[in-house]
Amino acid sequence: MATRKELGEFLASAERRAYKQAVFALRDEDNALDVVQDAMLKLSEHYSDRPAQELPPLFTRILQNSIHDFFRRQKVRSTWVTLLSAFTGGQDNDEDPLETLEAMHGTEAAESAADRAERAQIVGIIEQEIAQLPARQRQAFLLRYWEDMDVAETAATMGCSEGSVKTHCSRATHALARALQARGITL
Amino acid sequence: MNEVEFAYRVRQALNEGADSLDYRILTRLEQARRIALARQKSAVDAPLWVPALRFAGEGGTSASDESTPAWLWLRRLGVLAPMIALAVGFVGIYRWHEDQAIAEHANMDLAVLLDDTPIDTYADKGFGVMIRNEQGL
Repeated sequence: MATRKELGEFLASAERRAYKQAVFALRDEDNALDVVQDAMLKLSEHYSDRPAQELPPLFTRILQNSIHDFFRRQKVRSTWVTLLSAFTGGQDNDEDPLETLEAMHGTEAAESAADRAERAQIVGIIEQEIAQLPARQRQAFLLRYWEDMDVAETAATMGCSEGSVKTHCSRATHALARALQARGITL
Repeated sequence: MNEVEFAYRVRQALNEGADSLDYRILTRLEQARRIALARQKSAVDAPLWVPALRFAGEGGTSASDESTPAWLWLRRLGVLAPMIALAVGFVGIYRWHEDQAIAEHANMDLAVLLDDTPIDTYADKGFGVMIRNEQGL
């Protein structure tokens, strides 16, 4: 059973990555913060009696489910808005929010040192390109290479086969490499 | 560059981005963490155990004091003493009822012997009650 201290330390270590993943998926800082808070609450209220070593995969899965729930709610909301706008003569808005969301701009502020500014710019571009990846590819790539999950854990979290995870990761890597190369960045 | 190496470098960049989050974001995350910890399942916290036997006027004792053999003995005594008292009470009530029944039967025997009361009175509960009332039992 995880103690209060263990849970606090885990959340402190995971919150930044969780926030970034939510931002990549949702393209909105406030919505991302709400989703991360929601995931933290669910973990704390329902799963804090689990051993400390089970918290990371549980939290990852809860976060992914919270992101999916957000998209579902947004889709339902946009459906109602579409229905209502048909009566009020508003513009049609039946597109998938995943397709219409704008790319996130780089969040890094310019700093005095030139190299740090350049590095921050590169990080910002990489984050933009990751946000541009298709949702499943991005999810597989981040879980596999950022959250240090193996293929089986990633497949279990995403609810797909291990083969699909490998395919998503490979496509994400190649797409990311191409996109960065097109913007003049070589890692 | 192979896939894993490329992913490793992207991961470094992602870590840099996560480490340089805006102060506003960090504050919100910290607030979210505090709220989540405040709603943690109460069972996860250190269990609040109140000894069954506490003496009046006794100050608070630390957990280490309560785990000493003397305290353990008092705790067990605090649980066992009421149970023993209850068992003794049950035995006493049983014995008292038994004595009452013997005395009642003896009175009925005496009444039958002295007053030529028919033997059927043994089957009449009202007769036993009458004898008891007459003798003030």
